[in-house]
Amino acid sequence: MDLSEKFVKGNGTFVDDIHMPGMLYLGFVRSPYPRAKIKKISGGITHKDVNFDIAAVGEGSEEEQTFSSTAHPVLAKDFVGYVGQPVAAVYSTDPYEAEDLIDSVEVDYEPLPGISDPEKAIDFEPINPASKSNVIVDRYFGKEFPDNVGDVVIEGRFVNNRIATNPIEPRGIVTAYDGDKLTIWIGTQSIYSIKSGICEAMHLPAEKVRVIQTDTGGAFGLKGGLFPEYVVAAWLAMKEKRPVKWIETRREHLMASRPGRGAIAKLKLYADRSGKIKGLKGEVLVDNGAFTGGSGEFSPAFIAMQLAGAYHLENAYVRARSVLTNKAPQGPYRGAGRPEAMFFIEKMMDHLADKLKMDPVDLRLKNAAEERYRSPLGFEVEPSKKFLEAAIKETGYRELSKKYNTGFSFLILYHATSGGESARIQVKDGRLKVWIGGNAHGQRHDVFSKTLINEELGVDESLVDFQLGDTDQIPAGIGAWGSRSAMVAGSAVLMAARMLREKVEKKYGKYSLNHLLGEEWDAYHNFEYSKMESSLGVNVVTADVDDLGKVKIRDCISYYDAGRVLDPANAAGQIAGGSVQGISQALYEELAFDEDGQPLTSSISDAGVATADLLPKFTIKYYKSESTLPSKAKGIGEAPTIGVPIALSRALEKAMGREFNETPIRPELLLRETAVQ
Amino acid sequence: MNPPRFEYYAPTGIEEIVGLLKKYGDDAKILAGGQSLLPLLKSRVVTIPCLISLSEVRGLSYIDERKDGVHVGAMTVDSDLEFSDIIKKHFPLILDCASQVADPLVRNTGTIGGNISHADPSNDFPSVMLAIGAKFVVQGESGTREISAEDFFVDTFETSMKHDEVLKEIILPYWGSNSYGAYGKFKKGTWNFSVAGVAVQLSMESGKINKAGIAITSMGPKAIKCTEAEKYLAGKKPDDSVLKHAAELIVGASQPSEDQYGSEKYKKEILRRLSIKTMGKAIKMDGGN
Repeated sequence: MDLSEKFVKGNGTFVDDIHMPGMLYLGFVRSPYPRAKIKKISGGITHKDVNFDIAAVGEGSEEEQTFSSTAHPVLAKDFVGYVGQPVAAVYSTDPYEAEDLIDSVEVDYEPLPGISDPEKAIDFEPINPASKSNVIVDRYFGKEFPDNVGDVVIEGRFVNNRIATNPIEPRGIVTAYDGDKLTIWIGTQSIYSIKSGICEAMHLPAEKVRVIQTDTGGAFGLKGGLFPEYVVAAWLAMKEKRPVKWIETRREHLMASRPGRGAIAKLKLYADRSGKIKGLKGEVLVDNGAFTGGSGEFSPAFIAMQLAGAYHLENAYVRARSVLTNKAPQGPYRGAGRPEAMFFIEKMMDHLADKLKMDPVDLRLKNAAEERYRSPLGFEVEPSKKFLEAAIKETGYRELSKKYNTGFSFLILYHATSGGESARIQVKDGRLKVWIGGNAHGQRHDVFSKTLINEELGVDESLVDFQLGDTDQIPAGIGAWGSRSAMVAGSAVLMAARMLREKVEKKYGKYSLNHLLGEEWDAYHNFEYSKMESSLGVNVVTADVDDLGKVKIRDCISYYDAGRVLDPANAAGQIAGGSVQGISQALYEELAFDEDGQPLTSSISDAGVATADLLPKFTIKYYKSESTLPSKAKGIGEAPTIGVPIALSRALEKAMGREFNETPIRPELLLRETAVQ
Repeated sequence: MNPPRFEYYAPTGIEEIVGLLKKYGDDAKILAGGQSLLPLLKSRVVTIPCLISLSEVRGLSYIDERKDGVHVGAMTVDSDLEFSDIIKKHFPLILDCASQVADPLVRNTGTIGGNISHADPSNDFPSVMLAIGAKFVVQGESGTREISAEDFFVDTFETSMKHDEVLKEIILPYWGSNSYGAYGKFKKGTWNFSVAGVAVQLSMESGKINKAGIAITSMGPKAIKCTEAEKYLAGKKPDDSVLKHAAELIVGASQPSEDQYGSEKYKKEILRRLSIKTMGKAIKMDGGN
């Protein structure tokens, strides 16, 4: 059965569909306070039983730093730092009773004043007793330059508020222990980060842990790393020698998973009168949340290093900080630093164009990089002018902008290609089994894998069974994130297929399908890649606002350099889906908190996930190119969440005649002064 | 998302239900379509030890034209109202409202009786009932009695039904052949709940408003009937300035509170604009008179 048919008919096997005899169901006692001392806990599993911390893992870990004093304890020790933080765990053979038991644990808290505003948290008393300051990262990029480099300066404060990742399937895990080996079933982007996370946190040898991926109902960055609840589930399975299940509720998701965005920038852009940009200066601040182990340690640097956008920038000096706040730790969310960086630079480009009375697209053309160079902030910028010229033409921007409120965004998408990826192909009984290292969670990596295998080996796609991740079947790999899979996993599959071809050729002198399918073969390829690739994209959005402040989007056009588009149908699905999330971020999505850190967002509707009736028609076009990787693809998964919020926000600036420097845009700001009747 | 333990009864007769309500007192709650109650139970916002379902009681789902008005059974689901020819003929306001309640899945299960009895100030039907001047037939231990919509809604989640009474039927008195109505709803972001909602019911005569029924949703602790605006509109030719002034009176009756969806001022401005639009929509239905 085709995968989409399987899921639409309800035949998927998600982690909550796993049932085992003797299964125990976990429930978590969570902090009701943003910040409090714990004086006493009576009942339940506590940190005295499970005394582990969550170490930093996942994307960005190349630059890993140690943040042991601010590490997230699996279960709270003497204080809590956010509402929803796991304090104790309970379990039962009945999932209903497990939830009832949550109330049986008594926790004596001494509430303390909390802080939710990251800017105010800088000078607030340290919320973690082990830290001297709430600022946990403070780095500088580029170098100081004089303010007189330009004739004009644009200055602004730009905000991407926190948003929940909100995949349809929340987090969940099933664990079992046979006295020797711990087995974990989980919906994940990376069985390897789950495995290494568990091994590291619980001090287990790698050969004692097996991680198996179940069907995964979306992730958007959420399911790339280890969470405290997973460690408790593993510990309990080992202690009781019984299978254990934990499934996150939506309320828990909104409180205590790792939300994305949560970044503020205060920046100045210097230019000469012709519109040539001369320098960028300022600071980026990331709302880390109460503990490390999410992505707040890495995202300030990642954002700062991208701030040149796709432009040529001579001078830059940016301070990048991350600050502890009384909220759940920040995590990666589709784009994970990329949408924030591009929002900041693109907003300034639009406002500079306004100041110089230029068309924003002409300003971008003037500053597009003509040659590859390394920006003073750190990242390499690829030549972008030719692409931009093609994008202006292909999107019809000039015509659209004459008629409608039109926003244009120009993005550079840095793919997380470094680290490469693995793949394995096994031939048995006339069929092929395929595993790739990164774990698909809705992107249909099965389709491009089958296409590439078919092209290389001539094997009919119906003879290929794409497998979910399993550390016993494919021992090493990285993960599916950072717009990397078609590039590095696709290349790994292709290289594994080539290995099979060579094996057949070696044995029989030449390759034939009959020789391949008639015997048993096995090929594992670790496609090594150390470079971070990039690609360019443009989004054009036209929109209007009615007299009640309701936004009507007319066009949402994507023009991306996707390299070779391996699977047009699912590439379109990725772009439309990502555009929906981009629209949602610009207009609706926010995890709101009061001053102390008490969450104000209590349901998925409240969190602002857009419904189909709010959406426009999407137009998708590609720039013709090929990457230098074997798969010839370039990544696109995160392009729309980068480009669409910027272009939509700009279209609404045109509609309302004012600046919008924050996502989401407050509905109040979309109400025109004079009411139309 | 598992609810705490509860007892569940689904008797076939209303008398039995009344008996159970009496027996269990405050521990019991009526379950109709469950579209509000079940999420509250599952998220453990409320604990209800005893749920008494109306699902097995026959004859509570109907839309009948009778002498004194259209009678609607309390268990009639929203989508039945949305597609009813009787409702379309007499109460376009209800049709307009029903099609804007939540989403089609909720409307296929959610009932008008539940929507009203839950008395959530953000539910759409309470204001519609106030605008039309509906009467509610409730059954208790000593038989049935009628409560007017105006007397029914007391506070947030609170009605004037006694604890052992069940809402059985809604009577919608006829407004005459020249009557029109519309429901305006401005949603909160991606919520199906509103920043503001306004129900407008009008009867027209020679291009003038004969009688007006107006009430508002999400604008205070309960659905609010805008009596001043109703009185003002009666006998007026509805030109722009009249609608503008009526909208001011509607806003005057509102008591919104600030939250992350906007300030009081913003919500009042939305209500003002929405009211003008919605009154205009109802008036337009009067064949261009």
